[in-house]
Amino acid sequence: MPTAFPLPSDLSPATVTNTASLLRIVALALISGAAIASRLFAVINFESIIHEFDPWFNYRATRVLAAKGFYEFWNWFDPTAWYPLGRVVGGTVYPGLMATSGVIYNFLHALNLPVDIRNICVMLAPGFSALTAWATYMFTKEMKDESAGLLAAAFIGIVPGYISRSVAGSYDNEAIAIFLLMFTFYCWIKALKLGSALFGTLAAVFYFYMVAAWGGYVFITNMIPLHGLVLILMGRFTSRLYVAYSSWYVIGTLSSMQVPFVGFQPVSTSEHMAALGVFGLLQIVAFVQLVRSHVSSKQFQDLLFVVLVTAGLVGFAAFIGLTYKGAIAPWTGRFYSLWDTGYAKKHIPIIASVSEHQPTAWPSFFMDLQFLIFLFPAGVILCFHQLRDEHVFVIIYAVMASYFAGVMVRLMLTLTPVVCVASAVAFSTLLDTYVDAAEPDDAEAPADSATPSESGAAAKKTKKAAAATPSSSGSALSDLVAAAVPNKKKGIYGLDTRFAIIVNAIGMLAFFVFHCTWATSSAYSSPSVVLASQNPDGSQHIIDDFREAYYWLRQNTPETAVVMSWWDYGYQIAGMADRPTLVDNNTWNNTHIATVGKAMSSSEEVAYPILRKHDVDYVLVIFGGLLGYSGDDINKFLWMVRIAQGVWPEEIQEPNYFTPQGEYRVDEHASPAMKNSLMYKMSYYRFSELFGGGPSTDRVRNQQIPKVGPTLDYLDEAYTTDNWIVRIYQVRSEDLLGRDLKSANAFAQGKKRKRSKPMSRRRPIV
Amino acid sequence: MRWCAVSVSLLSFILATGQGRLLGGSLVQVTTTYAVKALQANAKVYTIALGDAEKQTTSWFEAKVKGQPTALPAVDRGSANGVHLIDITLPKALALNASLNIVLDAIHTHATYPWPETASQQDEQALKYKTDLFVLSPYHTAVQRTKIRSPSPTIHSYTTPQKVDAFTLDAPVTKTGATVTYGPYNNIAPSANNKFISEHQQSVVLHFNYEYPVLEVPILKRSAEISHWGANLNIQDEINLHNAGPALKGHFSRLEHQTQSFYKRSAPHVIPGLTLHLPAGIRNTYFYDLVGNVSTSRLRTTPSVPKNAQANQYSVLELKPRYPIMGGWNYSFTLGWDSPLADSASFDKTTGKYIVQIPVLTSIPAAVVNEAEITIVLPEGATDVDFATPFPAVSSFTSTHITYLDTVGRPTINLVFKNLTERHAQPIFVSYRVPLSAHLKKPIAVAVAFFSVFAFTLIARRIDLRIHKK
Repeated sequence: MPTAFPLPSDLSPATVTNTASLLRIVALALISGAAIASRLFAVINFESIIHEFDPWFNYRATRVLAAKGFYEFWNWFDPTAWYPLGRVVGGTVYPGLMATSGVIYNFLHALNLPVDIRNICVMLAPGFSALTAWATYMFTKEMKDESAGLLAAAFIGIVPGYISRSVAGSYDNEAIAIFLLMFTFYCWIKALKLGSALFGTLAAVFYFYMVAAWGGYVFITNMIPLHGLVLILMGRFTSRLYVAYSSWYVIGTLSSMQVPFVGFQPVSTSEHMAALGVFGLLQIVAFVQLVRSHVSSKQFQDLLFVVLVTAGLVGFAAFIGLTYKGAIAPWTGRFYSLWDTGYAKKHIPIIASVSEHQPTAWPSFFMDLQFLIFLFPAGVILCFHQLRDEHVFVIIYAVMASYFAGVMVRLMLTLTPVVCVASAVAFSTLLDTYVDAAEPDDAEAPADSATPSESGAAAKKTKKAAAATPSSSGSALSDLVAAAVPNKKKGIYGLDTRFAIIVNAIGMLAFFVFHCTWATSSAYSSPSVVLASQNPDGSQHIIDDFREAYYWLRQNTPETAVVMSWWDYGYQIAGMADRPTLVDNNTWNNTHIATVGKAMSSSEEVAYPILRKHDVDYVLVIFGGLLGYSGDDINKFLWMVRIAQGVWPEEIQEPNYFTPQGEYRVDEHASPAMKNSLMYKMSYYRFSELFGGGPSTDRVRNQQIPKVGPTLDYLDEAYTTDNWIVRIYQVRSEDLLGRDLKSANAFAQGKKRKRSKPMSRRRPIV
Repeated sequence: MRWCAVSVSLLSFILATGQGRLLGGSLVQVTTTYAVKALQANAKVYTIALGDAEKQTTSWFEAKVKGQPTALPAVDRGSANGVHLIDITLPKALALNASLNIVLDAIHTHATYPWPETASQQDEQALKYKTDLFVLSPYHTAVQRTKIRSPSPTIHSYTTPQKVDAFTLDAPVTKTGATVTYGPYNNIAPSANNKFISEHQQSVVLHFNYEYPVLEVPILKRSAEISHWGANLNIQDEINLHNAGPALKGHFSRLEHQTQSFYKRSAPHVIPGLTLHLPAGIRNTYFYDLVGNVSTSRLRTTPSVPKNAQANQYSVLELKPRYPIMGGWNYSFTLGWDSPLADSASFDKTTGKYIVQIPVLTSIPAAVVNEAEITIVLPEGATDVDFATPFPAVSSFTSTHITYLDTVGRPTINLVFKNLTERHAQPIFVSYRVPLSAHLKKPIAVAVAFFSVFAFTLIARRIDLRIHKK
């Protein structure tokens, strides 16, 4: 039996097993370390701070939970959000994230480790990414072997597609949800393999946790039934499937209904019907199996046909009927937007206005997954090779997730795990093939004397794989080789070929690491609350206008002062400024948001009554024109107009905000509606004076602002930050003499009241 | 023999009372010189009187013999009849007709108030200072003169006292440059009694320009944590800063502010930042507020100074708040640092006790701290805790503080002070004993915790709970 390189032969199997096990543990520990460390760019470059928008709400809710306990949190009614409506927070959140942090917080405090709740929140996502790596390892181990598992763990640990949602400080539901997703899938696969009610129950428990943590649980709710259905259609119904599915579905559904935000949805909405349907189907199939073992074949055929057709028809009719009657809610708009990417823009502009709901651009697949995106199809094809039950799962998952990732940017997150799994399978097959020392023998003896090599973990399973499919471990590749060299036996000869491939493969891995580090540090580690720029000497300069403004609000305005801003900043204002807001990132009330949009996009006279009716004390706008910060409110303005137009189509019309040529301008050619809008006035109020008579340029839109800037009669400038990014205006109270504020202002400035006609008491004589 | 409060008859006689008052924003420095002549042999105690209002504002005082560095011991006798009496023990008894100059240095806080009460961004800042005309004394006063010096020559107005013909025939008040002089007033009867106060005492008001912001710290929370394991003294201040100058009229205009700072003529009532002198040798300095780290400050540290050396070096912190603090605005923040414990602690071999000095506060120039809560956290297991404050605390109590790796918690001293100024930045001395067993408590606790986890795992891995044995 020739080998390409000498192998030690005097190792006992126990030594090999123990060494492999130790190496695995060490490798997993290192992967966890790498996963956590690569997510700390945000903390090291900036500080331990909560990022972006939604995490600020989660953080605020967690603080309530930590300070007041779980019951208080459960019953929490927040009167400061959606002023004056308020928000029942306990019933409108997925509490899993906050509960997790709360448990960790209380646990650490019980051990006399008084860690600040903010640090727990900041570090939660990196911590859970280590767990995700482990869960992915367990999952992939079920697909192929431990070496593929380790590769998959390493991939998911540092892949940008997942890091983008789980850097330190990105305290969002996704931070823990991907771990739960992978672990639920692992339990499901395990339950299916073993026919184990225990693992089925475990899957249900983690499914419940997932339901409590993230709205994306619907993905599991449909993935597992789909897998079950496909298995049935493939004729792979087994009692294992029956046990696994039934235990998962019953316990999982009942427990998921305990989450108040989910409530009765699992039995009343269309998204959950697939799971129920497959559950019913499984019962029928199981019953049919039972009947088949008791009756003759011919009778059975007839019976089966009649039962299946009847059951199918009845079930479908019941579904349609219930939907029609309203017992089952029809598909929601968000769901439709998954099938028609233009749907949201037409019908629900709020959803379309969120950048992460846009369709994915092709380059972002490479940005987020790098070389894994090339290996991914190879891995899926390799799954077809063996096509065990669990491989079917990966194939379905791959197809579904690929589609969804193409539809919505944020769903890239659900694609990433399966890409890592499939790529790991492909990559480890490649390594197995080329690291294996066995050379094809001239005799017909199968080459199966694989033994441990340096990559200990990989080697152990190589043996199994080689033994299972002796002619071809990683057969696709060796087939190719065989086709190219027809006269020789299939296999790899010598060290040079092995080196050529392995060096190349390791090079890919190395570049992957570089790419991940680069993408993480440059693209995904900005808190977006704090902006970084550079001083002339190259040192970092922090632009901290947001916090400056929020802190000013917090320290120098009355605690009940209501702040109106576009909904993007609602959570941040609530979290950092601790002031009531009109609208926030929860976006549950379209009309309320449209009201704010209307106030922003109409003239002062129209907006003023709206502001007064909503008790607004301060209006906050984001203006990037001085600094060139492009995410400002003028650039978002059209969405405000569109959303307002959706509710008041007569009063607000989008075309009015464009020039007659159809351009979106803010300079002197801007349309009158644009120039009179509150948003325009607040953004450019006294902006041109800053340039001392020189040309005043808006650096975002590269347009010159008119020298005579807008005037404000109904608002006062209350605060503007250092770089003018945040501008806060105070709403004036009504004039004491009952005049309207415009004429009161004109009077105060000493302007004469203009009269269009001379007053005449008598009627002119005709 | 002792003088007593009631017998204010001619046991002593003040030859002259000279008073100098240097006005400031939050703080007014008052220096009173009593030229005293004993009318009785062996006079050992001299009594100083303060009016009730003056007592309220006096946050710190110190009596010295003129030209001598040591402060004289003072005993507070309490208030009666609208007068507060303080006994000062002289260094040696005075012989009959011997004379002595006693200097009383005092800092008055909350003695000024902004007038007008609001000012826009371009306006100047003016304050009013209100005080009593006569320096009270239980003794007969031959001459009294009060000089009030304003930091700027622009004095908008000052009170001309009425009905002082009994004491002077000249002009009762004169103004030269930035100084307003009341007096000299001659031959004032013992004034520390209701009769004199109701007949002659009157208040004078000075309205002057002030070119610096008026700083006030409504509440300061300092916590000092001593760690022997880390050889570290951590000091953390939670400071609530308030601009007590005239409230901002109208609104804040960034354009205005940027123009002013561009031409380097900022409004006098804006606090753009603070320069603080922190101890030498500090590290891990942090400055954050409720929404996170504040990145707009500069710190220049100096290396640590040996304990008994002359500490004329300090680390300079140029602290810049998130926003300029206009009149009436607030800014709260947290400032903390670590310093080597050896710089402020010593071990007394004779008693076996550690002695640590912890400053009451880091002086914020020209600011008054209305209330300070000082918490001193001692190492876990410290016993025989004693402490000495440089001036009496309003209240003090001890409690237990539990933090990282503690099992029973750390003894904590809590002190509350009121109306502190930069003159109060003196050390509190704390002494305690830490037995070796207390030092070892932490490693043992950690070791036990790890051991129990390992032991649990060891056992758990070996228990087979499966129903179907393989």
